[in-house]
Amino acid sequence: MKLLNKYNRVNIAVTIATMLVTGIIYYYAISHILTNRIDKDLELEEQEIFNYVSLNHALPEVYESNHQQITFMPLGNQQVERRFVDTVYKEIDENDLEAGRALISIVKVKGQNYRILVTQSKVETEYLIKIIFQITIVVIFVLLVLLTVLNRFILKSIWQPFYSVLAQLRGFSVADKVTINSTPSGIDEFNELDQAVTAMAGRVKHDYQNLKAFTENASHELMTPVSVINSKLDTLLQTDTYTDKQSKLLNDIYGTMARLTRLNKSMLLLTKIENGVIGADEQVDIRAIIEESLYQQEELIHGKNINLVTTLEDKQLKTSKLLMEVLLNNLISNAIRHNYPGGEIAITLNATQITIANTGKNIFDITEVLKRFHKSTDSEGIGLGLTICKQICDNYGFTLQYNLIDERHVFSVGF
Amino acid sequence: MKILIVEDEAGLRDSIEAYFTGADSVCETAPDFAVALTKVGMYRYDCIILDLSLPHGNGLDIVKYLKKNQHNDGILIISAKNSLDDRLTGLDLGADDYLTKPFHLSELKSRVAAIVRRKTFNGNNMLQYNEIGIDLTAKTVTVHGYPIKFTRKEYSLLLYFIANKGKVVSKNAIAEHLWGDNIDVADNFDFIYSHIKNIRKKLVEAGGNDYIQAAYGMGYKFAGA
Repeated sequence: MKLLNKYNRVNIAVTIATMLVTGIIYYYAISHILTNRIDKDLELEEQEIFNYVSLNHALPEVYESNHQQITFMPLGNQQVERRFVDTVYKEIDENDLEAGRALISIVKVKGQNYRILVTQSKVETEYLIKIIFQITIVVIFVLLVLLTVLNRFILKSIWQPFYSVLAQLRGFSVADKVTINSTPSGIDEFNELDQAVTAMAGRVKHDYQNLKAFTENASHELMTPVSVINSKLDTLLQTDTYTDKQSKLLNDIYGTMARLTRLNKSMLLLTKIENGVIGADEQVDIRAIIEESLYQQEELIHGKNINLVTTLEDKQLKTSKLLMEVLLNNLISNAIRHNYPGGEIAITLNATQITIANTGKNIFDITEVLKRFHKSTDSEGIGLGLTICKQICDNYGFTLQYNLIDERHVFSVGF
Repeated sequence: MKILIVEDEAGLRDSIEAYFTGADSVCETAPDFAVALTKVGMYRYDCIILDLSLPHGNGLDIVKYLKKNQHNDGILIISAKNSLDDRLTGLDLGADDYLTKPFHLSELKSRVAAIVRRKTFNGNNMLQYNEIGIDLTAKTVTVHGYPIKFTRKEYSLLLYFIANKGKVVSKNAIAEHLWGDNIDVADNFDFIYSHIKNIRKKLVEAGGNDYIQAAYGMGYKFAGA
């Protein structure tokens, strides 16, 4: 539930409860005040009767007006307690009974006790209360509508800076060039959040850049000793004749140096692609690259007796030739390396994508394979090939997809 | 062939010097920018092997100096920086080739040989080695004047061997030369043998000498005449 909704729900509930309670209190207060006023009227009337009796020693004429009735009833020696009562009131020319208020009192005329009953209609009072009740209902309704509207429009615009910070956080990636922009607002809390997020993003990016710079520098620095060892090995090879044992050792060293070199170069390449240092503004003939790569690796394909089927259309792409070569070389050499003797490779190139499908030994999980330094147990590789492919695709706007179709591993690159 | 090696890393400089110095080559070395600039100011070289990151200066400035003074020395840049920018700047400035560290000495020698051949190109772009003739423009091979059909890889391998004649060339170096360094070389070792067998067979069948010898299971050697 959104904070806004939660807040509003509580707000509305409390408002309605308050309105209801106030309504009830208001009702009783008004009703009490009005009854008091009627009682005053009744007392006034009683007083008038007393005045009349003391002046004329006779009961006044019984009359009826203004929603008021007065009746006298001889009581003999009986006494009656003076009191106010709620009763009903009946208009003479109407049949409706209305709520009324009456004062019962006693007057003595010529030694005779009379009960006085002054009744007054409470119709106007009730009408007033009804109006008050209606107004309360209307106010509650208007408040509800207002709160909803506030929620929809005004509050939403207040929360805008929060959502924009959130959107930026969601789209944040350390490897991206895009930085989090400050979104100033008039609200202190959001400003603090914004500043914290911007500072954090900057720090993370800075640390990541440092780490990348370190990887790149370390790989570079490693190249010098590696080249010295390489050149010394080449020189050593010229010096003398070798026993089988010695040449086996030398071969192993050569092989390991080659691996070290390739590992280092791959790491450098990966950092460079991530940094986007490699420009992508050449017209590249994809078909030519595929054909060249297949030519380069023809011995391996023939050596494994692999049946190669190619359907290549012409395709030009504005990108980096170097990276296209790396991408396709990697995918094609994977298709050969992870194939079995007598297997199949089908390569299709059209205007929208290139697919490389191969029969293969292992079933694998693509997300695992895309991790750095992942490799199958029998692989001679260094485990960066597909990571580099993915990085190239990510950075240059291609899509790299993997599917297992009819027991064939199918990698496709969409342009 | 007179060669200047500009490289600050002593180990690498010595190895290159040792590998290049021979019957037909003289080498000089420069460990830093100042020495290099003095030497290129005073002498002419068939090829200068130039490291870019030097103490007290950038190798690219030496390229600029040579071009400004219209010296036609061949220039091969060797650098640990594999960045495309450096490569393009170097080549734009007039360097003849660019080789990324680390490299095999045999690869370096074959690149230098190619530059020197281009520099001394005089009308006919032919390379003659005893009975073997190679047309560098048409990329064809003749033995005793008779053409032999070589595949692209065989042709490239033959040139590589001739440039490194008398040296043992490791299988790794050959594999990297033929298949490039982004393909796992170990996969390809078996195929080196068959390529070399084919070259030997073709040369011998055409009446040429059998120059290529296996060297202790580590590589091959093109025996000098």
